[in-house]
Amino acid sequence: MRTQAIRTLALAVVALLALEGPALANHRPNNEVLIGGAISQTGPYAEPAGRQVNSIKLWVDEVNARGGLLGHKVVLQLLDDKSDIQTAIKLYEKLITEDKVDVLLAPYSSGITEAVANINERYKKPFVAYGAASSSIWEKGRKYIFNIVAIAEDYQKGAVHLAKQIGVKRLAIIGQDSLFPRTAGKGAKDWAKKLGIEVVLDENYPTKQTDFTALLQKIKAAGADAVISNSYFADSAAQLRQMRELNIDFKLYSSTVGPGLPNFAEQLGNTAEYVLGFSQWEPIPAILKHPGMKEYTEAYEKRFGEKPNYHAGGAYGALQVTEAAVKKAGGFDNEKIREALATMEVTTIFGRYKVDAKGINDHEGLTFQILKGHRRVVWPEKWAETKAELPMPEWSKR
Amino acid sequence: MERSDVRNLYRLALFLAFAYSLPFAIGLWYGAVRVDERWFGYLATVVLSGILQGGVYAMFAVGLTLIFGVMRIINAAHGEMVMMGAYLTWVCFFLLGFDPLLSLLLTLPVAFLFGVALQKVLLQAVVGQPELTALLVTFGLGLTMIYVAELIFTTDFRTIPYAPGSVQITSTITVGQNKVISFAIAVVISGGVYLFLKLSRLGKAIRATALNAEVAMVCGIAVRRIYLITTGLAAALAVAGGALVSIQFGFNPETGVVYTLQAFTIIILGGRGHYVGALIGGVMLAVLEGLVSLMIPNGTAMIELAAYTLMIFVLLIRPGGLMGVKDA
Amino acid sequence: MTRSEHLRNLAALAVLGLVLALLPPALSVYLRSFAMFTMMYVVLALSWNIISGFTGYTSFGHVIFYGIGAYACAILVADHGWPWLPTLAVAAGVAAAVGLAIGYPVLRLKGPYFAIAMLGAAEGMRVIATVWDGLTHGGLGISFPSVENSIATYRAMLGLMLLTILVAYAVGHSRFGIRLNAIREDEVAAEALGINTTAYKLAAFTLSAVFPAVAGGIQAYKVLYIDPPSVFFVQITIAMALMSMLGGKGTVIGPIVGAVLLYTAQELTWVNFPTAHLIAYGLFIVLVARFMPRGLVGFAIDRGWARKGMVH
Repeated sequence: MRTQAIRTLALAVVALLALEGPALANHRPNNEVLIGGAISQTGPYAEPAGRQVNSIKLWVDEVNARGGLLGHKVVLQLLDDKSDIQTAIKLYEKLITEDKVDVLLAPYSSGITEAVANINERYKKPFVAYGAASSSIWEKGRKYIFNIVAIAEDYQKGAVHLAKQIGVKRLAIIGQDSLFPRTAGKGAKDWAKKLGIEVVLDENYPTKQTDFTALLQKIKAAGADAVISNSYFADSAAQLRQMRELNIDFKLYSSTVGPGLPNFAEQLGNTAEYVLGFSQWEPIPAILKHPGMKEYTEAYEKRFGEKPNYHAGGAYGALQVTEAAVKKAGGFDNEKIREALATMEVTTIFGRYKVDAKGINDHEGLTFQILKGHRRVVWPEKWAETKAELPMPEWSKR
Repeated sequence: MERSDVRNLYRLALFLAFAYSLPFAIGLWYGAVRVDERWFGYLATVVLSGILQGGVYAMFAVGLTLIFGVMRIINAAHGEMVMMGAYLTWVCFFLLGFDPLLSLLLTLPVAFLFGVALQKVLLQAVVGQPELTALLVTFGLGLTMIYVAELIFTTDFRTIPYAPGSVQITSTITVGQNKVISFAIAVVISGGVYLFLKLSRLGKAIRATALNAEVAMVCGIAVRRIYLITTGLAAALAVAGGALVSIQFGFNPETGVVYTLQAFTIIILGGRGHYVGALIGGVMLAVLEGLVSLMIPNGTAMIELAAYTLMIFVLLIRPGGLMGVKDA
Repeated sequence: MTRSEHLRNLAALAVLGLVLALLPPALSVYLRSFAMFTMMYVVLALSWNIISGFTGYTSFGHVIFYGIGAYACAILVADHGWPWLPTLAVAAGVAAAVGLAIGYPVLRLKGPYFAIAMLGAAEGMRVIATVWDGLTHGGLGISFPSVENSIATYRAMLGLMLLTILVAYAVGHSRFGIRLNAIREDEVAAEALGINTTAYKLAAFTLSAVFPAVAGGIQAYKVLYIDPPSVFFVQITIAMALMSMLGGKGTVIGPIVGAVLLYTAQELTWVNFPTAHLIAYGLFIVLVARFMPRGLVGFAIDRGWARKGMVH
């Protein structure tokens, strides 16, 4: 009876596994190419990653409408890694060795990209990362991963420069305790040192922290006059609200990710005013003047009902780079594509792409300020829409 | 009181004295503690804010301790009920334009019914089974609630900009308006529940069931009905907690777990099924977190560690918690 | 159970081991990974079952040992240049020591208090891994040098799984196991019969800590990057409990069946139905816990498909 039960079970497992077998692998019709990646459609990264998925779908449809990639119809294989590293690893192994995708797409988030970078390196399958800003990924001599976005170290570059301009002397740097915010914090510290601003407090907080009363008091006790916060939405929103509740004024407050999300200003109302934020890119063709930006922004807005944010723009830019590399390579040979990605220079809707020896693109980001509910670019000066209104007015005078 | 009880109480008092003075000692060592009026202002703000925060946490922790006390069920979905309360309030505020406090009149009955239905469909069957069964049932329920919320509301964060101003207490002490309002509402609601349990017939029946369900049944109390009301009440307290949290902090479908852990910690500190204990536990927890964050270098990164260490040590020294609840 | 039945079961295990050992070249890299992770969950569920199934102490923080193992391996390989395999022994040793240190005080707590204390301990451990920068690199995580490891990790996990099954089987059929069951049924009575319950509980707890640590070390080497939230992940504890429960906790075959079935089912569904899959997973947990508290094995016994002694 026992053996029978085991046999039945074994059969069931084999049957289930068979379902999973290679679907498209070797018998792909000649006129199709398979493009694939795993990106977080559920879990904590779903919000930014979802906007990248939008751009990916848009690009695939546009390429196919243009007659495909080198004349091949593009088929998209997009899997969900549940915002989980272990799952992502497994899926990339599947995409590369089983589905045998012709072109690989990047995952989202620095942590997952760091893990996946080991996999594609092993199989010599290049991709352009659009969701990973931590430069440590490119410090390990990897050859098959390229970056399109500005690195995390530069997220607060503009804010620190602006702080210098308005005469900030003592800076507090706070941030969530994980890979990306800590890298951004390290960069902010280096910029402050270069510009001669003293960092009087450098502290991390747990990822799900919501009450910052004590930390804000500590910042005040340390005598800081500006705050650099390497934060996401919830923590950044809580910090601002509590500053207001506690009536603590700073000359400048800058957050890495939160203010760049479309609903930040809308959800926070006028508490979000005068806050600085970082953006890899903004949908403002009139100012950035990258070719094709206007068409992309319009097409995206028409299809998804909102303006593209920088996550979307970065993914689209990376796909344009990939397209150019495939064309330059004249086919889907991994080494030739890698070679093209490493050496070529192209301008996409996201800006110029030209990587250094490590594979990092020297992308220049923007610092914006929320003014009357809108994000307005204030740094670098060549792209500034308006002059930054700093120091921030006191809470009591708003 | 037995002698071992007294001894445990002494140990507990010693441990707490040590735990709460440790941040001061470390702060003094690193020069983070200063002796001037302004610094005392910062300290007082942190302590006061901890008390206000603790009151709100305690209110939804009472919901957890109620279910635990009456049915010996650990409700791992309690934080998700808090999250549900936050979303209900958000919907009332942004879509219907209701004041978050007035919307309690609408959301609390809904929450009560939700609790009753939950008890009927799921929990009634797991009362009296090993704790793992109930833990898994409620954990699964929590996951389902998270992902249903993601389906409806996406993972975008929400906040409710309500009473954003500050209340100046002295020249150096300031607290948020919304914190004061939340605390006041929490006190009114938990006070009401306390009086209900102490004075009303139904409340007495609930307490009797918590003491001993079999005896209660023999005395003619309809225990199953008591269970329904208990879970309804617990859900209402969680949703009320969610409303008060929503006017202070951002939330998304995945924030519930933080509140579950917080509520666990509080009821362990206070003692199972003990309502005043929950209040004290809530305040103790929030104040300790504030002190650690304020005075220890990079202390903000360690506040969770402080909270869990406090919980585990209290549990080990006196399993009945601060209030020394028996049968732990 | 007779001697011949034991021999037959051992022979079956040997055959299973041999087949799995010869399989890798025939499998794609992805299927190898899939098989490896399935075996990992068998290890986790079986180990959890030793303390929580046999002894009745529901550990809601068992991921502690998995995380410690992962970190022991990562720190030694990435920062100290150790070869990989010896680090697994260190992982086991550290987990045993931590198991003793946590178990000694916490096992005095009963029922839900033990469960919550373990949950708190697991969360606390995650914070320690985040804050203790000098040792763990905190939130930055640890990245291994990239190497081809799909066969090495597969074989290591297979070896670990066979060892875990053997140990669990031996425990389940020994006087030691019977005494653990006695503790689960009535601890006071067990004590009255002269069983040193503290020592037995501690032994079971420590034993159940060692295997997850080794599994954590192997998976860290497989994934090549770890950070505190990914290895001290509460869902891994839940998976251990759920898999044991689905198969039938307190038995040897139950957790194995539960782990294989649940992991395979998840693998097949999530890719196609992202959010719906997660809702279904939540409901599935509810339904299993609500309607099958004794698991598939209990279900089978009730229907006379299996004899009680055979499946233990």
